[in-house]
Amino acid sequence: MQSPDGRGITQRPMVAIIDDDASVRESLPDLLGEFGFSSTVFSSAEEFLASEAVDQMNCLVADIAMPGMTGLDLQKELRIRGHKVPVIFITAQKEEAVRRRALDGGAMGFLVKPFSDTALLEALNAALGLD
Amino acid sequence: MGTSITAGSLLSLAVTVTSEQHVERVLRKTVEGLASQPGVALVRIWLVPSVHLPNAWREGAHSQEGKEHLRLVASAGNPIKSPGEDWSFLQGRFSRFKLNVGKVGQVAANRHPIFIKDFAPGDSWVAQPEWAQREEIRSFAGHPLLFQEKLLGVIGLFSRRPLEEQEFAWLGLFANHAAIAIANARAFEEVAERQKAEAEARELANGLESKIRRLVEANVVGIAIWNLEGAITEANEAFLRMLQYDHQDLASGRVRWTVLTPSEWRDSDERAIAELKATGIFQPYEKEFLRKDRSRVPVLLGGALFERSGNEGVAFILDLSEQKRAERALRRSEVFLAEGQRLGQIGSYSWRVATDEITWSEQLYRIYEFEIGAPVTLELIRSRVHPEDLTLYEKMVEQARNGGSNLGGNFEWQYRLMMPDHSIKHLHAVARASRDQDGQLEYIAAIQDVTARRMSEEARDKARSELAHVARVMSLGTLAASIAHEINQPLAGIVTNASTCQRMLAAAQPNIDGALETSRRTIRDANRASEVITRLRALFNRKETAAEWVDLNEATREVIALSLSGLQTNQVLVREELADDLPPVLGDRIQLQQVILNLLRNAADAMSTIADRPRVLLVRTERDEGNQVRLSVKDSGVGFTPQAADKIFEGFYTTKPDGMGIGLSVSRSIIEAHHGRLWATLNDGPGSTFSFAIPYTVDGLAGAENRVNRVGTGAT
Repeated sequence: MQSPDGRGITQRPMVAIIDDDASVRESLPDLLGEFGFSSTVFSSAEEFLASEAVDQMNCLVADIAMPGMTGLDLQKELRIRGHKVPVIFITAQKEEAVRRRALDGGAMGFLVKPFSDTALLEALNAALGLD
Repeated sequence: MGTSITAGSLLSLAVTVTSEQHVERVLRKTVEGLASQPGVALVRIWLVPSVHLPNAWREGAHSQEGKEHLRLVASAGNPIKSPGEDWSFLQGRFSRFKLNVGKVGQVAANRHPIFIKDFAPGDSWVAQPEWAQREEIRSFAGHPLLFQEKLLGVIGLFSRRPLEEQEFAWLGLFANHAAIAIANARAFEEVAERQKAEAEARELANGLESKIRRLVEANVVGIAIWNLEGAITEANEAFLRMLQYDHQDLASGRVRWTVLTPSEWRDSDERAIAELKATGIFQPYEKEFLRKDRSRVPVLLGGALFERSGNEGVAFILDLSEQKRAERALRRSEVFLAEGQRLGQIGSYSWRVATDEITWSEQLYRIYEFEIGAPVTLELIRSRVHPEDLTLYEKMVEQARNGGSNLGGNFEWQYRLMMPDHSIKHLHAVARASRDQDGQLEYIAAIQDVTARRMSEEARDKARSELAHVARVMSLGTLAASIAHEINQPLAGIVTNASTCQRMLAAAQPNIDGALETSRRTIRDANRASEVITRLRALFNRKETAAEWVDLNEATREVIALSLSGLQTNQVLVREELADDLPPVLGDRIQLQQVILNLLRNAADAMSTIADRPRVLLVRTERDEGNQVRLSVKDSGVGFTPQAADKIFEGFYTTKPDGMGIGLSVSRSIIEAHHGRLWATLNDGPGSTFSFAIPYTVDGLAGAENRVNRVGTGAT
């Protein structure tokens, strides 16, 4: 399978999708596939951190409000572990304080659900340095 | 020995007695010497008081007695009829003679000798004729003892043979010598006494001086020697140290009374000097001295002149700095206490029960609005007590009079005052019983004016009800956020799926299968969003809050779904244990959901500070005994204290710093309106569990009917 830009599967950027909402885990991989990215889904931050994917991802798309470890906790944990992987947050709750904390923590994007496909693509391109 | 008294023997005796320096010895030698002369039976000497009483002699004045009495001072003789008799005996019938009485009295009064050459037997003027006869007395010679024309006394001689005229004359001459000897001896004694007195005085002075020297050198008090011109000639270390001078300053004459004394104390000094001149001493008084550096030192000063009419004296000076400091500190602490009482609106008083003696602090006068210093009586206090509190007040006074034994001697009560302008004051009083130094019952009490506090409590209650309204509005805001979250989640899925679908169809090689799948998801998510909106409308539509059959499990799931995001934000893990066979209950769905929401929020809040264990929230539904269904919310939070257990369902009680304390009281009233009950228990582990139970059936038929309906609903 070829991506629109002709790069091979192994060269596709790897994106982890972390969200407790099943509909997001279901729909986002298809859209990312249309963008030409490869993706893996996780239903919690803990699950993601426990996986091997944590060292392989080029970018994270993560929910903020999740049971247990939140998206912001995840961001902090990655920073502590020395991972410099870019993070794009997607959240159903538009809270300015949370947004500021996320961006201050180095987030490359902060998208409020429902977000448009182009907004997500721009954020991904910025995060991956593709534009 | 011859047969008559000779001039030679008398001269010899005269020489002997005049050499004596003691009157007593002159007298004794005189009478004994004369008694040893031929034929002499008895010799006696009487003296006037001014001579035999040394003080009278010295004063040179005749006492009343001296004018009238002679006193027998020496006696010697030779008894023949009763040889054992002691004729030197000085007491008895003839120890005193009044002037002019008897022969001796006549001699003294007339200062003229009497000579009886030969008694006629039975002579009537002999005082003791039988004695004279028995002792064969024949003759008497009495001579006055005169010295410088002053009568000293009388010497009388009784003889057993008739005395010659010549003998009588010589005895007269001898009497003159004897008088001189007595006077001289008396003079010697005077000198000796004076010397002795002077020696004693010297000794005393020496002792006193050493005592004073010790006092001076001990430097316990300042001591200064001064004169009336104001010079200070000597002073001890204590005095100099007190005033920062040294001995050189003293020697230079710089240290003068006027230099040491601030001008406003000159008057006191003047008064002391006037007193000194009048009485020789001045009463101690307090003044201030100036030190060498011109700072002041308070002193107590006392002193005296060395001699009444002299110019020089001594002063004793006590440094009062410490006492003054202590006095100031005491005054200051009294001021502080008064100020503290004023600031705290606290007054104090003591009440001696036996005498009704009442002492009030100034602040208490202010609180009661009595004129400060006015005498306070129980009746006066009573006049201020609020009419509604008079019974209480009188009861307290009565109990206090009885010692308050049933209260352990301590009282605490609140009562009101009604002031003359009909304003009300709320007072809080605490009294403690004690015994004064006489063992009498005395109360010490503190009374605080808590009116302001009461007012603020009332104001706070009012503010609370206003805040409760604000809280309701705010919880709507929280709800709105939940709603947004619940709707935005499916919307995110819809938009993502629709976008994907679009891209799949727009590709050079359209992905038809993918597009169909994503559009199917879009429709599904849109329906899901619609359901959320329907539920929300149901939650807020008051027209539908009438009693209906409510599936508590369903209602609970909806509430959890609505509050999940908030709970997750607070890192609360929600676990559900919902019974499968739960019968529906008849009630107001929205109200019951409000109760569940409130319990969930309380549980989350109770765990907000928990960091050492998971924040787990367990929601459980189950059948309870007595045809009831029970819902419980168990948290692992901070729990509550046993004391709070009764209060947490009261309105406005809250342990949350930002809580309003209305949720649980409203919840309880909702549950009670459903004929159920709401309660709280502490967990075996950490946290607490809040539960409510509601009857699910009024009678068996209704319950059965209802179950049919439910089954029917579930089938559609």
